[in-house]
Amino acid sequence: MTVLFALVAQSLRRVRKFLLAAGVLLAGFQVVLILQANSIQASSSFAQMGNLVPSFAREVLGPSFVAFLTFKGIVCLGYFHPVVMGALISVSLTLATIPVMEIETGFIDLVLARPVARHWIVTRSILVALISTVYLLAMMAIGTWIGLNYYAAKDAGWPSAGLIGSLAVNLGLLMLCWSAITLAIGCACRRRGSAGAISGLLALAAYLTDYIGRAWKPAESVAWLSPFRYYTPFELVMGSALSAKSLYVLGGIAVGAFALAYLLYSRRDISH
Amino acid sequence: MLSGSAAISIRGLTKCYGKLIAVDRLDLEVSRGEVFGFLGLNGAGKTTTIRILLDLLRPTSGSAAVFGHDCQSDSLKARSAVGYLPGEMGIYSDSTGHEMLSFWERVGGRIVSSEHRRNLIERFELSDRDLSRKLREYSTGMKRKLGLIQAFQADPLLLILDEPTESLDPLMQESFYELLADARNRGRTVFMSSHVLPEVERVCDRIAVLAKGKVVLLSSVEGARKLASRRVRVTFQQETSVPAHLPQGYEMIDVKPRTWILRVTGQLGSLPSFLAALPVADLAVEEARLEDVLVKYYRDGAE
Repeated sequence: MTVLFALVAQSLRRVRKFLLAAGVLLAGFQVVLILQANSIQASSSFAQMGNLVPSFAREVLGPSFVAFLTFKGIVCLGYFHPVVMGALISVSLTLATIPVMEIETGFIDLVLARPVARHWIVTRSILVALISTVYLLAMMAIGTWIGLNYYAAKDAGWPSAGLIGSLAVNLGLLMLCWSAITLAIGCACRRRGSAGAISGLLALAAYLTDYIGRAWKPAESVAWLSPFRYYTPFELVMGSALSAKSLYVLGGIAVGAFALAYLLYSRRDISH
Repeated sequence: MLSGSAAISIRGLTKCYGKLIAVDRLDLEVSRGEVFGFLGLNGAGKTTTIRILLDLLRPTSGSAAVFGHDCQSDSLKARSAVGYLPGEMGIYSDSTGHEMLSFWERVGGRIVSSEHRRNLIERFELSDRDLSRKLREYSTGMKRKLGLIQAFQADPLLLILDEPTESLDPLMQESFYELLADARNRGRTVFMSSHVLPEVERVCDRIAVLAKGKVVLLSSVEGARKLASRRVRVTFQQETSVPAHLPQGYEMIDVKPRTWILRVTGQLGSLPSFLAALPVADLAVEEARLEDVLVKYYRDGAE
């Protein structure tokens, strides 16, 4: 356990500035969104905004469109805005490619030349992914809390803590899912650049598959393949409970990919 | 059956990368307490063998063991006895020397005596100020010193050193040789690769020369030196003609009116009788160098 603790501490120490900056930016983004929502609310412009949206977009979004164009909807947007999702997935990809980077730079040679089992390296990466995910989501929740308590009217129609929690849990599982997929890809690659590029393209393709699947009926038949399909912010904003199926699927992908990462890392040659 | 008495025991070890055979049915045994030189040209398979010993690479076939522990199936026990210096140090430039030494100590799982570490730091003339600096400010030589300290700091039973004196200045090389002598005196085993042949000649007990993944020479340093031909310069009091037949193992390299230069392979016992009847004024025998033998093996192996 001392070894694992040393490995986790060393990895977190290396990425602390990056994580700190990402956390502050994401928290700040939540505050900015709340300021914006408050401003729209104060000027009673939600109805005007709704009229500006083209009818096909309303059709695509369905009833969630109404829920989205509220104070609560804008606040929750901070948990599924493409910029936020892009940033979180990028952080996941960056952290999950650390093992392949350590192989590429030769750093891991001096670790594995000691009595350190290979599975500790993967376990370390899983723990770093977990800690980072929890930290970033906590920072977002803190941003939301600060924004609501300091910059929003009390009667603006705040989202409930349960809704924010559900969004965070669902988003957190999505992040872990991509961490696991990237970790498995990294364990099969020799270069961090290759692992990052493959994972990034895969995430983009999956995001677009889900996006197109939501807007275009024929594409729906393949959209279930995308992990993003199981992140359901609109349904949550609409008042649905967090879907157990979504959690199981995302959790299942994460567990499966982490298991694959263990297998690949234990069998591979450590050569740079 | 792996021998527990040997520090390193390698049996029929083969490592292929696709069609390329990096190590080809290698057999090797390094005794405890021995300083063993592992030599060969670049790409001969030295680093691949070392990485298999550390379970960084998995062999295609064959086995390797450290103190009787198989390097794959029982690799944690095998590695617990090893201190390793890689050819290229992979270190994070935003860490300090102190941080890296502490980190390696923690992941090594063995308690490092602070006195021993202090002694190593002093030997390699690294100050506290140096160790508090970020590694990006280190010269190549300083990184090498840090690498040697981390390899020796837990006082391991077996030291696997890949090109240990590369980038070290002559004074630090001397410090390293002293450290090696100390380690040997305390019964430690050293398995080192090197391109610096005078260094190998100085510090190693035995050597193996690897070419295309195979051992082409396995010998004590003394034994290898004996394989070298020596140059004998004979100066005569007057002009002397070369005899029609030279003894076996003798080859005339250069003939001047009063001087011959001969290459003698093997022992020099027959030299006095060969020269007895000739008007010899002076005789000089150049000591055989290990380099002369190894270069021949390198060349033959590369062909």
